[in-house]
Amino acid sequence: MNLAGVEDLSTQRREPEWFLDLRRRAWRFFEEIAWPTANDEEWRRTRLTGLALDDFRLPTQAEAARGDRADLPAYLREEMESIDAAGGALVTEDGAVRFHELSNELAAKGVIFTDLDTAMRQHPELIQRYFMTDNVAVDANKFTALHAALVTGGAVLYVPRNVQIEAPLYGITAVSGDQADFAHTLIIAEENSQVTYIDEMVSQGEGAAFHSGAVEIFAQDGAVVRYLHSQDWNTNTWHFSTQQAQMRRDAQINWMTSSWGSRLSKINLEMQLLAPGGHGELLGFYFPSGRQHLDHHTMQNHKSDHCTSDLLFKGALRGRSRSVYSGSIKVWPHAQKTDAYQKNENLVLDRRARADSIPGLEIEADDVRCTHGATVSKIEPEYLFYLMARGLSQYQAEQMIVTGFFEEVLNRVPVEAVRRKLEQIIARKIIG
Amino acid sequence: MTSELVIKDLHATVDDGAKAVLKGVNLTIRQGEVHALMGPNGSGKSTLSNAIMGHPHYQVTSGDILLDGESILEMEPNERARLGLFLAFQYPVAVPGVSMANFLRTAVSNVRGYTDQPMVSDNNRPGMVGSNLMPMREFRNELLSKMDEFHVDRSFAKRYLNEGFSGGEKKRVEILQMAMLQPKIAIMDETDSGLDIDALRVVSDGVNKLAGPGLGILLITHYQRILNYVQPDFVHVFFDGRIVISGGAELAHELEAKGYQWVKDEFGEAELVKA
Repeated sequence: MNLAGVEDLSTQRREPEWFLDLRRRAWRFFEEIAWPTANDEEWRRTRLTGLALDDFRLPTQAEAARGDRADLPAYLREEMESIDAAGGALVTEDGAVRFHELSNELAAKGVIFTDLDTAMRQHPELIQRYFMTDNVAVDANKFTALHAALVTGGAVLYVPRNVQIEAPLYGITAVSGDQADFAHTLIIAEENSQVTYIDEMVSQGEGAAFHSGAVEIFAQDGAVVRYLHSQDWNTNTWHFSTQQAQMRRDAQINWMTSSWGSRLSKINLEMQLLAPGGHGELLGFYFPSGRQHLDHHTMQNHKSDHCTSDLLFKGALRGRSRSVYSGSIKVWPHAQKTDAYQKNENLVLDRRARADSIPGLEIEADDVRCTHGATVSKIEPEYLFYLMARGLSQYQAEQMIVTGFFEEVLNRVPVEAVRRKLEQIIARKIIG
Repeated sequence: MTSELVIKDLHATVDDGAKAVLKGVNLTIRQGEVHALMGPNGSGKSTLSNAIMGHPHYQVTSGDILLDGESILEMEPNERARLGLFLAFQYPVAVPGVSMANFLRTAVSNVRGYTDQPMVSDNNRPGMVGSNLMPMREFRNELLSKMDEFHVDRSFAKRYLNEGFSGGEKKRVEILQMAMLQPKIAIMDETDSGLDIDALRVVSDGVNKLAGPGLGILLITHYQRILNYVQPDFVHVFFDGRIVISGGAELAHELEAKGYQWVKDEFGEAELVKA
């Protein structure tokens, strides 16, 4: 891959000149930014040994074979049926749109929900204004630069002011072996709007793939955004994701992220509270098994006063897997009356699994309340004995204990159908 | 056939095996019998109950435990439960996030054989609990009627197991679980401890309701007072890892009058002489 390749990609897709410029600039950043090493604090516990970008193919299809639900392959149809997405759905496979639907009602209200390709043609002003401008920066890191240079697929969701959408909108990103995927999710919720978006990633088959994605959320004054992200790749896939939410006055974000699949994941999640009255909730699930390595970094960035943020990340680990959670609450000098909470809990199910938890506070205001906590524990043998003494098999007892461990987060998942899916995934992961 | 639990010259140690806690226990409990096992704190009573149920921290070093002639020493706790053994815990643990109804439905389904079919592998989502459990409606009806019978508020079904329950509530829920699991032999480990007189009466009523020809009970206690409510057929005095005297109900009253010091004086010395 080189600059000419980036230009080809853009030409094939008949993209506007301004977008090509963005890709060129991003590619230069990608080349300038060094590969992370163990000397970088953020990468001290996560190594990229074994990753070779040349192993993966860029998405080739610019135009996809779109069709009805019935035309989707079985594994995608099954996914689709798990959520009642009355508002709309967007399914992409290897960077190309396979299925797209937006209810007439929402379209009439001015809601935009489409893929990035279409959005940049039909709503260039929207993409020029919001796409990797002041939320996720193109040069934030090596992987965001690569993402911006090669971005294909992904969803753009725009909700006009005062439009409140009850039913969730649903996006599925499917990727097959040997593919490189650069899906982008961009959500703009204007003043006093409300929306729920379910963003899922699934593999087709067991072949290794590479994903370098970004998620950008803008919650304007008084907007309520529920964003539920589920990464369920196969365990051979590389996953890099930078996700950032910006919240204006009195905006609310209920953000849930879950990491189940991938060989290695490096995920950066940041919420920025930019005006008074914002409330951000960030829930996390992860459950590596085998030799999976999942690394989450979170940032609750309080740039304004009178905001609250509440983070709860829970992870269970099987086999020889490894998890890293590092989190930071940052409170700027003028962000008085901040109320921020951060909790990370880990349940290590096998002797050779390892969880690292590194919570952090960086507080420059003096009238704030910030609390954080981290635990790493094993299954309590007395729980296991109690349940088994009543007739549960070890597997059933472990399943109950692990599901019970996640219950505190599950209870806060705002969409019931997603909660049920998460319970099923947890049951699957307990087997290892 | 009447089931019987036979404990034969049982010796056991805790954890690393450094300290012998059971030093030759002999006891037979048949369905329909109520045995009281009384002894001072630290005499090894709880070790006996844990060893019978198969707690992994206790190692049986010699002797045997037989249920209907079959040794259960190599069995996991859940296999023992399946055969009809039940342990009411002295300190029931609170398991975070596990609801009582959900847990008990799985337990009852196992013990009554609903889950004998291998776990249903539903396409690529194997191992889902819930596929072959006791039918929900049937379970619910039975649970609710037993909750009423044993004075457990119906709201407890949805609450997390033992989390935030008072001492008396925990013990009542233990009795409720016993009623649902219908064991042949139940070991009740200090079920009376930490209860005020009203709670003790409720719990004792529960034990009396369950007692009958189908159930053998080993009532382990430090105090005589529960025996004012539950009438034992046999009383055993436990001291220093073994049963030192057995008798009828009158033995409990004798013990109450003389106190454990009498046992220590009588049997502690014998131990010293032997050593």
